[in-house]
Amino acid sequence: MVETAINLGIPLLLLIGTYLIGSAVERSHYREIRIRESRSRRFPTVNLRTPPKSWNIVGAEMVTGNVVISIDYFKRFLAGLRMLVGGRVTSYESLLDRGRREAILRLKEAAFERGYNAVINVRLETSRLASSNRKGEGTAGVEILAFGTAVKFAK
Amino acid sequence: MEYRPRIPREGINVTERHPLSELVILIAGIAAVVAALVVAAFAFIEVAIRWVPPSFESRLFGRLWSADAGSEQEDPRLEAATAVLGRLASHWEGNPYELQLAIMEEQTPNAFAVPGGMIYLTRGLLESVESENELAFILGHELGHFRNRDHLRALGRGLIVSLTLSALIGGSAAESVPRVATTLTQNGFAREQEREADTFGIALVQAEYGHVAGTDGFFRRLPDATAGIGDEFASYLATHPVSEARIEALRSLARENGWSVTGELTTLPRLTSGHSRGS
Repeated sequence: MVETAINLGIPLLLLIGTYLIGSAVERSHYREIRIRESRSRRFPTVNLRTPPKSWNIVGAEMVTGNVVISIDYFKRFLAGLRMLVGGRVTSYESLLDRGRREAILRLKEAAFERGYNAVINVRLETSRLASSNRKGEGTAGVEILAFGTAVKFAK
Repeated sequence: MEYRPRIPREGINVTERHPLSELVILIAGIAAVVAALVVAAFAFIEVAIRWVPPSFESRLFGRLWSADAGSEQEDPRLEAATAVLGRLASHWEGNPYELQLAIMEEQTPNAFAVPGGMIYLTRGLLESVESENELAFILGHELGHFRNRDHLRALGRGLIVSLTLSALIGGSAAESVPRVATTLTQNGFAREQEREADTFGIALVQAEYGHVAGTDGFFRRLPDATAGIGDEFASYLATHPVSEARIEALRSLARENGWSVTGELTTLPRLTSGHSRGS
């Protein structure tokens, strides 16, 4: 009886706990992302390979924005259930969406801080850092890297 | 070209569905499908066990337990039990099994039939039976499980439950198979199956001894196990019907058939010091 209670109770507590913490973290992260996006929206960040002809560029440098994210227990549980039936893994969608947007924001901030006026040729890379299996070994982590060419306009 | 900064609306890259509703829908859907599959598999087992001949069953499972059989042959009570089993089985017309007996080193009195014709008696049971008649009824009861193929049914159901669980929550199915074969065969009989096994067992005892005295002795000592739980509740929960109900069922069966409930009890060989020996 006690064993069963522990075997069922601990995952259940983990589920509830990670859901509450995870969703609070996600909400506050989204709030912060929206504020920073709206503040930096006038900073051109485009994926054109070459700058528009009208731009008078006097300097350029590569800039990067990098994010490493990990999933929580609840999201992994939900994704595990989803795996049985297929379909959209919605619990991962928001996670990766946050990661991409955060990476681009950091890219913009890196370029802005160094006095650049825009970033062109922006690319996004995603790579898995470690796999997470059901035994809980390893950490599920994804790195999202945004990189591009920061350019400076003539005054 | 003019740069027009506009922030796209939310919900393009993210499906806006509440994670809890997603959780509930997924769990409910998967549970419904799994339940349907398990019910279908149980129905399949009911059909399949009729098509498994006992000879095939013995070939398949006999080797699993053969190491246990006879390892304690020097025990006089086990020898006596083996003899009783042989005589009882002779009253079972068309018995297709090559029956074997083995002792399980456990103090809780219990007996169970596993596929392939093997019957396990716990050490605690061998020590607590007071007469041969009582032991004979227990063995007859297990023979009843064999006749009704309850052991196969329980094994099949146990396998399905264990496979389902391991598919859902992970873990190797292969490593749980032997465990399931014993534990679930031991515990997995429904009350109706127990009653039918009782009926078969007592008929064998009557055929052997000419009376059914002593058959209820084992049940009389059982209630200790469920003491503390309300009788109704225990009866509802237990896979074994509460002893009183089973004794009553046996009595009325004896009355209907005109079997004598009194008679001379056959004594069993005395216990040796063997019970303190571990296996």
